[in-house]
Amino acid sequence: MTATLELQGVSMSFGGLKAVDNLSFAVNENEIVSIIGPNGSGKTTTFNVISGLYEPDSGEILLKGESVAGLRPDQVHDKGISRTFQSLRLFSNMSVLENVLVGMHAVTDAGVLSSMLRLPSVRREEKAMREKAQEILGMFPGRFSGPRQQQPAYSLSYANRRRLEIARALASDPTLLMLDEPVAGMNPMESREVMEQIKVLRDRGHTILMIEHDMHVVEGVSDRVIAMDHGVKIAEGSYHDVANDPQVVEAYLGKRAAEATA
Amino acid sequence: MTAITGRIRSVTAPVRAAFARVPRGVYSALGLAAAAIFPLLNVWGVVETAWLRVGVLSLLFVMLSLGLNIVMGETGLLNLGYIAFFAFGAYTTALLSSPKFELRWPFLAVVALSTVIAMIAGFVIGLPTLRLRGDYLAIVTLAFGEIVRLTIINLQDFTNGPNGITGIYPPRLASEGAIASLGDAAWAKWLTVDKPIEYYYLVLVCVVVVAILLSNLKNSRVGRAWNALREDELAAVSTGITAARAKMLSVVLSAGIAGFAGALYAYYSNVISPESFLFMQSVIVVCMVVLGGMGSIPGVILGAIVLQALPQMIREAAGAARSEFEVYRMLIFGVIIVVMVIFRPEGLLPDKLWRSESHEVDPRELEKTRQSLFDLEEGEKDLEV
Repeated sequence: MTATLELQGVSMSFGGLKAVDNLSFAVNENEIVSIIGPNGSGKTTTFNVISGLYEPDSGEILLKGESVAGLRPDQVHDKGISRTFQSLRLFSNMSVLENVLVGMHAVTDAGVLSSMLRLPSVRREEKAMREKAQEILGMFPGRFSGPRQQQPAYSLSYANRRRLEIARALASDPTLLMLDEPVAGMNPMESREVMEQIKVLRDRGHTILMIEHDMHVVEGVSDRVIAMDHGVKIAEGSYHDVANDPQVVEAYLGKRAAEATA
Repeated sequence: MTAITGRIRSVTAPVRAAFARVPRGVYSALGLAAAAIFPLLNVWGVVETAWLRVGVLSLLFVMLSLGLNIVMGETGLLNLGYIAFFAFGAYTTALLSSPKFELRWPFLAVVALSTVIAMIAGFVIGLPTLRLRGDYLAIVTLAFGEIVRLTIINLQDFTNGPNGITGIYPPRLASEGAIASLGDAAWAKWLTVDKPIEYYYLVLVCVVVVAILLSNLKNSRVGRAWNALREDELAAVSTGITAARAKMLSVVLSAGIAGFAGALYAYYSNVISPESFLFMQSVIVVCMVVLGGMGSIPGVILGAIVLQALPQMIREAAGAARSEFEVYRMLIFGVIIVVMVIFRPEGLLPDKLWRSESHEVDPRELEKTRQSLFDLEEGEKDLEV
């Protein structure tokens, strides 16, 4: 079986700094894989390379066996990779509903002339989009109900902004969903809620690659964990294997701590 | 400053609330009715014909502002050479319907070609410049506007240079033969548009059509893609929007609308010369969009009417001091814009969601918003951050 996402020897450097160094891993269908690692270990760079914001210096990125390396971000998205951002990037002056509708841009096709004339085909598509947006927003019960959908995104609470980013990424039915620190800045209650939601997404058949610092969440949802440090993959396996790996402990806590656990 | 604006706000709050309850469609209908009745005031002898001319020019600027609003308000690209596209449309019309080359193409063909030529100009200028952002784009478009104007002045053989093109034929909405065959039918004379009132209604119909098409577009997949690019380009491209294509579409479309307006302007004014396409005109259109409210269609319509009609009114009122007023016109514009930017940066009739980042937030308002959001979540036990 071809993996949903496969990275083969991907490297990316900024000047003399090797942000990602010969990285290889795979994400299988309907699997949740988490990438962990200290700050500056190359996790977000990896995400940016996969989603097309950076072009890798070398290596191959395959989505269902098809290369996506070096494509523009919108082309990568068209192939079926959707993502959220660590530092929230919502369309602040657009409503909650509009944010989700923009997420469907790639999977809808109303053109400029037909939209101007509001042809029946455009109206049908618009109606279908709005229904689907309701369904997606409905996955976050009570968060985006009724009047709140018409509110601008900037008026949302921090946690709801993160939820809305996930909703926007889900709107295009992506083959692979990439979440960059989905619970960053949330309180324990909210993290747990998001964790449950991520599990629901897997049950619905989504494949998820996630960066996360909250180890409870990583432990709670991950089928597999990949640990990175200085751009290199230092461990891969189940949460417990990775968490007890001496190299991982060293990366987070230093050499002496690693010796103590060994 | 906050104290003053806060007091003004608390006094006007009930009034504003009352107005907010009226659906926006009612205002559009009232505005349209007013625009349609206005020329009748002239027919009934209430206002002078000069006012009809002010009306036609205001409507042409409404169309220009609607066009510029696509790039500035919806897509967030500043264009300081917008009047160049207006010039493309006007000169195309002048060449195809004047004694210059002994041509008199049918009205629809001329208007269509003027629009298309302006769109091609938009595409050509967009190709190299859309890679630029913000200030750089503004400077390059400014230069483009000047290049077009200087080219018109120097391309003597085509444009008569600074003298301009004169004697542009009035538009005929049907072919000459068809009009002749109608004989003395009372409405047949309406098919040749040559009186101010006829121009007024012709331009009004065109403006209304453009406004309807654009408001459909605003609430569509295409319009949302533009807004997304304006809000956060990186997030927009990661959501599958092809930035280069969407931006080009908005530039080409706005250029086309300017070309359309230019064609109507050339027909109406009968004479065109490079003086009508100065950099200052581009700035004035930008001011109209900013004053009315970027991204808001009713807003830019109001902005264009205010900035076009108001100076004329003041000029009339000034009487003998008319030339005196001309001197101060730009100064007054400047003052209006400065006052707007301080007190109401979102414009006179802002788009409903548009937040102005430069607005000082009244803490009481903020608390109210917070409370209403909290009320929405009643029954949910967990806290929001």
